[in-house]
Amino acid sequence: MPVIPEWETTMVKNILIEVKNLSKYFNVTSGLFHQERTKRLRAVDNVSFNIGKGETLGLVGESGCGKTTVGRCILQLYRPMDGEVLFEGTDLCRLTGRELRPLRQKFQIIFQDPSESLNPRFTAADAIGEPLRIHNTVYGHAYQERIAELLNLVGLAPYMGERYPHEFSGGQRQRLGIARALAMNPSFIVCDEPVSALDVSIQAQIINLLDDLQRQFGIAYLFIAHDLSVVRHISHRVAVMYLGKIVELCDRDELYKNPLHPYTKALLSAVPIPDPKVEATRTPIMLKGEIPSPLNPPPGCVFHPRCPSAFAPCSTVAPVYKDVGGGHSVSCLLYPTSRP
Amino acid sequence: MAIAAESIRPHRSLWTDAIIRLRRNRFAVAGAVIVFLITISAFLVSIFSPYGYDQQDLDAILQGPSKAHPFGTDVLGCDVLTRLLYGARTSLAVGIFAQFIVLVIGIPIGAFSASASSRVDNLIMRFVDVIYAFPDILFIILIRSVLGGSIYMMFLAIGLVAWVNVARLIRGQVLFQKQRDFVIAARAIGASENYITVKHLIPNSLGPVIVAVTFNIPRAIFAEAALSYIGIGVKPPTPSWGTMIRDGYDVIFAASHLVLFPAVAIAVLMLSFTFLGDGLRDALDPRLRR
Amino acid sequence: MTVESILDVDNLTTHFFTQDGLVKAVNGVSYRVAKGETIAMVGESGCGKTVSALSILRLVQEPPGKIVSGRVTFEDVDLLKVSNSEMRRVRGAKIAMVFQEPMTSLNPVLTIGRQVSETLELHQHMGRQAALRETIKLLGMVGIPQAERRVKDYPHHFSGGMRQRVMIAMAIACHPRLLIADEPTTALDATIQAQILELIKNLTRELGTSVILITHNLGIVARYAQRVYVMYAGDIVEHGPAQMVYDKPRHPYTLGLLASVPRLDETRKTRLLSIQGQPPDLIYPPPGCAFKPRCSYGTQCRDEEPELVEVAPGHYCSCQLSRNGKLPW
Repeated sequence: MPVIPEWETTMVKNILIEVKNLSKYFNVTSGLFHQERTKRLRAVDNVSFNIGKGETLGLVGESGCGKTTVGRCILQLYRPMDGEVLFEGTDLCRLTGRELRPLRQKFQIIFQDPSESLNPRFTAADAIGEPLRIHNTVYGHAYQERIAELLNLVGLAPYMGERYPHEFSGGQRQRLGIARALAMNPSFIVCDEPVSALDVSIQAQIINLLDDLQRQFGIAYLFIAHDLSVVRHISHRVAVMYLGKIVELCDRDELYKNPLHPYTKALLSAVPIPDPKVEATRTPIMLKGEIPSPLNPPPGCVFHPRCPSAFAPCSTVAPVYKDVGGGHSVSCLLYPTSRP
Repeated sequence: MAIAAESIRPHRSLWTDAIIRLRRNRFAVAGAVIVFLITISAFLVSIFSPYGYDQQDLDAILQGPSKAHPFGTDVLGCDVLTRLLYGARTSLAVGIFAQFIVLVIGIPIGAFSASASSRVDNLIMRFVDVIYAFPDILFIILIRSVLGGSIYMMFLAIGLVAWVNVARLIRGQVLFQKQRDFVIAARAIGASENYITVKHLIPNSLGPVIVAVTFNIPRAIFAEAALSYIGIGVKPPTPSWGTMIRDGYDVIFAASHLVLFPAVAIAVLMLSFTFLGDGLRDALDPRLRR
Repeated sequence: MTVESILDVDNLTTHFFTQDGLVKAVNGVSYRVAKGETIAMVGESGCGKTVSALSILRLVQEPPGKIVSGRVTFEDVDLLKVSNSEMRRVRGAKIAMVFQEPMTSLNPVLTIGRQVSETLELHQHMGRQAALRETIKLLGMVGIPQAERRVKDYPHHFSGGMRQRVMIAMAIACHPRLLIADEPTTALDATIQAQILELIKNLTRELGTSVILITHNLGIVARYAQRVYVMYAGDIVEHGPAQMVYDKPRHPYTLGLLASVPRLDETRKTRLLSIQGQPPDLIYPPPGCAFKPRCSYGTQCRDEEPELVEVAPGHYCSCQLSRNGKLPW
């Protein structure tokens, strides 16, 4: 049954995207041809959440948690095995590739590696204008103007349109990626680790740019990253993922002040704060062991082998993702019922 | 909003960058220059040579290099240098034009195979393997016996054998490029699969293909010479270095220059293209670019 | 400074002679590491922190790089002047290094046990059996479970975090006096990062090893380093005790860096301060202060070569505006 936390239902009119029970598995074959084994890699396992108009939902987690896959599944760049993705009421999972194409003007993606996400043989102007050319909405003089406008919006000079990607710095290439995503005035952008590959001082520029664009155009973001400090800064609400499941989702302040899930607490304590005085008072919670492979998720609660608070049922019973009040949802046996 | 500062380094496209790097490679430049000189000479021989291609001079047969005949004369008194330069036309024509066939067949098949389902891809690649396994020369002989002996059939025969390399290369490249982010980005902005193949995948896959084609040319030149040598290449009166070697072979002890000059010509032309190909490969390799 | 220093780098300069021009990667930097201390070298990509560390161990690729001048004093000897064989005795045994990419730093065709034992056999002249026993003990120390079984495994059987532990085991095998850790956790997940850094901290404290921690992460510096050196475009622009530098940064670049990093504990969302512009081109650097073009206070200072000056006890800064004690920020 789909879970829509009660806080979100009050904002029903302003919901842009509803993700319900999204699942994506990959079949991985290993071994030589005689002993071929096909294993199921549960990249995304029954994930549900909503994103409101103009809201930023942060999605954070470590390797194998499935956050990138979630982003791509929403945009139907991977087709989900199960579940629904309702965009302005339409279920994208039911549409064919051809039907999706005109809709793609409304939702876009920015990638992590700015040097990979641009075709090295296209000039900057070609790359940014590609959506305009494909959807044939703007041409001639208006096309040139739009390209100049987009370059300006992301803080680049119009003459840079003739340059090739390899002539730009990493931060500038990321701006080009953002300009391309903005070309068709989308209402939603998946930001897939947009600042992870950039230097610290450039990260701030891009984060500010994304913030400004959101304020100016009311774009909703799904901000996927592994850096919890960045995610907390830019998001309104944050979802924490582990091995394909959402373990906690709540408002960004609530996440810091009152984390419920043991993994969230460990993740928060693992992130160092750039302030020696504060750091002197913190001790990181050490998790045992390594992150398990998504090919062999542990039984019961997927986090239990590493959990400092694990108790008997955790190894056999899988917790249910539920709302515990105030828009705070968690998936942990420590919280069996909703709080008043 | 901060306007990004401009870099002082000059503005270059990827191709310009590659050409500049190519120019730095002395062997590649030497190869290119030699190819150019041979081509020009082959074109201009009919204007500048005092001798016709099969102008016999029975008073001056089997002469060594002299002022009148810089490379000597052959069994019938024809000027070797003139024949050599006419022969260059054949070698160059076969070498280069056969590549058009290679590209026209190889690129679509490779690209299609990479975009098709894995079953179809597998079938096509096995078919490619079979053709590849066949000995080149034998195959060409077979084709020529069916299609006839004109020089155009020669292009076709060699092309029909050599396309497999290019098809494999394109397929490999396209498969690799397909999973790169900018292809996913194109899909995300609503591009159709065909658009992506034509505008994104193929142009980025051409690098290794250019290099392969440049290496194919010496192989084609050699194939033509070898076939002409054994008598099933181009038919007289079309000039050919292979034919010259065969004719000269009969009198090799009396007039070794008749075999030597065409053989050296073949080697020099092949080597020049190979140097050029090596240089192109280094110039086009994106990893070597700083 | 009363505490004895084990490493003294004096005016180190390393350049790279490339096809496109002369890259001045490290421009006369000086720093020291005291016994048992952990210092951090922090800066963004291209600032020269990695190159300066490689220069200490003379691991810079000789063409196109070249250590042009400077002195690196370790155990009363200038490492830049010793012979290659003497240097090899130092590397791995007295000064060890841990690199960023655990995926590529290990030899894929040798077992883990072999690679660790190699270090022991080479430097401690241990026999095979003794080295193996010591290897198992070391793997246990770095937290690899079932070490006796895992010595026979190959690198691809290990995850990134595990491989980094193996690298650390190799590094401490000969009880080095100094450990250089170059972005040791950048490629790892947050919770694994915490494990590895705590491991390094505990081991080095136990063995009395000094650490040079190279990173771009200001949080890691705050958590683990006693003193910090901030680098920009091949120069050290500020250095001092971590608490002092973070509390009152004297250089505009340090200030900018600290203000541009989101803090996990921020209560109200404030707009990040971003340093405008791009990092400088190391082939055509701007004359005088390399940071001036991007500096918000750049209009207030004179054009001259910056020099490190003590602005507070133990706290040095190369910015002119920090000297008179009245900071515009």
